[in-house]
Amino acid sequence: MPPRRQPPPASGPGGPRPAVLLLAPLLLLALQGVAAAPAGAGRTEDSPGLQDAELQRGLLQQAARAALHFFNFRAGSPSALRVLAAVLEGRATVNPKKECQVDLVFTTDHYNQEAGEERLGKCSARVFFRNQKPRPAINVTCTRLIEKNKRQQEDYLLYTHMKQLKTPSDVVSIPDSHGHIDPSLRPIWDLAFLGSSYVMWEKTTQFLHYYMAQISSVNRWKTNDDAVDFDYTVLLHEFSTQEIIPCRIHLVWYPGKPLKVKYHCQELQTPEEASGTEEGSAVAPTELNNF
Amino acid sequence: MVCMLETKGKQQLATTIKVKGSGEGSGKGIFSKRNNVCKDTEVEVNYVYLSELQDILLLSTVHCDGMEEEGWDRQELVASVNQIYQWMIQISEKYTGVVTQHFLGMTYEIRPMYYLKISQPSNNPKKIIWMDCGIHAREWIAPAFCQWFVKEILQNYKDNPRIGRFLRNLDFYVLPVLNIDGYIYTWTTDRLWRKSRSSHNNGTCFGTDLNRNFNVAWCSIGASKDCHDLTFCGTGPASEPETKAVSSFVESKKESIVCFLTMHSYGQLILTPYGYTKNKSSNHEELIQVGQKAANALKKKHGTNYRVGSSADILYTTSGSSRDWARDIGIPFSYTFELRDNGTYGFVLPAAQIQATCEETMEAVLSVLDDVYEKYWDSDGAGKGTPTAVVLGLLVSFMSVL
Repeated sequence: MPPRRQPPPASGPGGPRPAVLLLAPLLLLALQGVAAAPAGAGRTEDSPGLQDAELQRGLLQQAARAALHFFNFRAGSPSALRVLAAVLEGRATVNPKKECQVDLVFTTDHYNQEAGEERLGKCSARVFFRNQKPRPAINVTCTRLIEKNKRQQEDYLLYTHMKQLKTPSDVVSIPDSHGHIDPSLRPIWDLAFLGSSYVMWEKTTQFLHYYMAQISSVNRWKTNDDAVDFDYTVLLHEFSTQEIIPCRIHLVWYPGKPLKVKYHCQELQTPEEASGTEEGSAVAPTELNNF
Repeated sequence: MVCMLETKGKQQLATTIKVKGSGEGSGKGIFSKRNNVCKDTEVEVNYVYLSELQDILLLSTVHCDGMEEEGWDRQELVASVNQIYQWMIQISEKYTGVVTQHFLGMTYEIRPMYYLKISQPSNNPKKIIWMDCGIHAREWIAPAFCQWFVKEILQNYKDNPRIGRFLRNLDFYVLPVLNIDGYIYTWTTDRLWRKSRSSHNNGTCFGTDLNRNFNVAWCSIGASKDCHDLTFCGTGPASEPETKAVSSFVESKKESIVCFLTMHSYGQLILTPYGYTKNKSSNHEELIQVGQKAANALKKKHGTNYRVGSSADILYTTSGSSRDWARDIGIPFSYTFELRDNGTYGFVLPAAQIQATCEETMEAVLSVLDDVYEKYWDSDGAGKGTPTAVVLGLLVSFMSVL
């Protein structure tokens, strides 16, 4: 079994699409080269060299991020969000249509990690990138980080807090410019991140990945007895182009129920605008394996 | 007249407001009230972003000799952008003889760019360490670190032998905010602005990515010729006044500069040349070794993980970066630091994390400085000449013994 890898790097500022397209054939060539290599590519004698190992490592990270966004969305639990800790192993293969399948194993941390708390969950995933088309197909299973009962309890507690919450009228952005999130507004941030996970999953490709930078406005925050109705605008940061993409998201959430999300993003570079709808179809057979 | 500042609301600010003369602080400001009540009240604030002083003033009440004055004139708050300059002046005054402020050039919006020179007067020629922060406007933790670095050096050079020895043979040149126009724009208008504020296309788009504008493989890869894009490389190599100001100065001192550090966020990375090619610099192995040692030192402080590698290897390719340019004009140790975090808050790093981030980054930078220092000077401060000369010298003396 390959030894545990170092935590993978965050990718950084890079080129816009033309440069990325230039990189694509190189990346695919390299991948075809390592396709025959066993898991933990870059470490065997057949290894194509450090350069391709780095490409592989980057691709595994992309896959891990996409898988985690999808996992978080499908789990529908704002109190049990996970972030990437490290990629342990993985392998990528490319088909003649230049679609890319990545099988990988990675570890996760709790999103709201308390100091000193170490609860490493482990996930295995198969991610299928469709040659720069968005919405990678994902199969992912993770070991229990938080016990199901406890998670439902925490979600319900969060929901009761949300019901008591009145968004202050002068809240412009969360966090504010100095990175502060008022503790009373924290549930809004967590729920927004959950909704954004859906969007970020759909938009992630082999080359593009996203972080949630800031909630720029809360348009509607309505809590009923059967749901939280949340309409907001979020700023996503795309790392390779460094662009900030505003997305209007409308979600409906209730503890234990699949998340319903609609969104519309302003794409600054391409003429088409990305939008999508998911109507609670997260109830898939694979869910049985997860919790 | 005795004035006291009392904050209102905003409990989550991780700050201490102290009345003048008391305590430590990484930000210090002098504020005047419009109608001259509490004129020149001095406020010291711990570990905040300079722009937070704006918010603090908005929400605070000033008590002067029992009378209450609420809030501050909005005009003076906008004028608090002068805090950058105020801080530099105050530092130079507090540490006269060791710190001087120097003019570098003007920004696009005609603001002066100043760097601080930290130098202990002596007869021997010095080598130079260059550090710049805030070339990308939204990366606020970077200018905060530059301030921290200056404060740490100045507070400790007398008592701390590790830092003290640096000043025997090294001068520090620190540019706390390179992209001043952009930085101010993030205060007033768009927190996530990245580029400068130059105008293009008849005023239809703004800003050049200054870190794609340097004259090294300019706009060849990893940058955009479209002025709307966030990686817009400008209208030509070093087309921007900020780039010109930095590059002409650094070029003029290149024989003396041994280390070029440029601070960014986020990503938790220490990057070596190059971004414009996967080829490695002639001293790549050494740069990686020194970088890895720095990352290890950083991790020891608060457990934060940093990765080390060439920009093209562990990031996407980029051209026209200041780090690559510096290396290619001959500066041997050239690094980009991408500070905290890993994406959780990204550019909008909470002020509560400033201190920890600065402490750990300081360890990394000191580690680099240790290695640089030991490469060129003995522990007693005597110059080594070039290391290869030392080896040859030893070889010759060994041969003569045989």
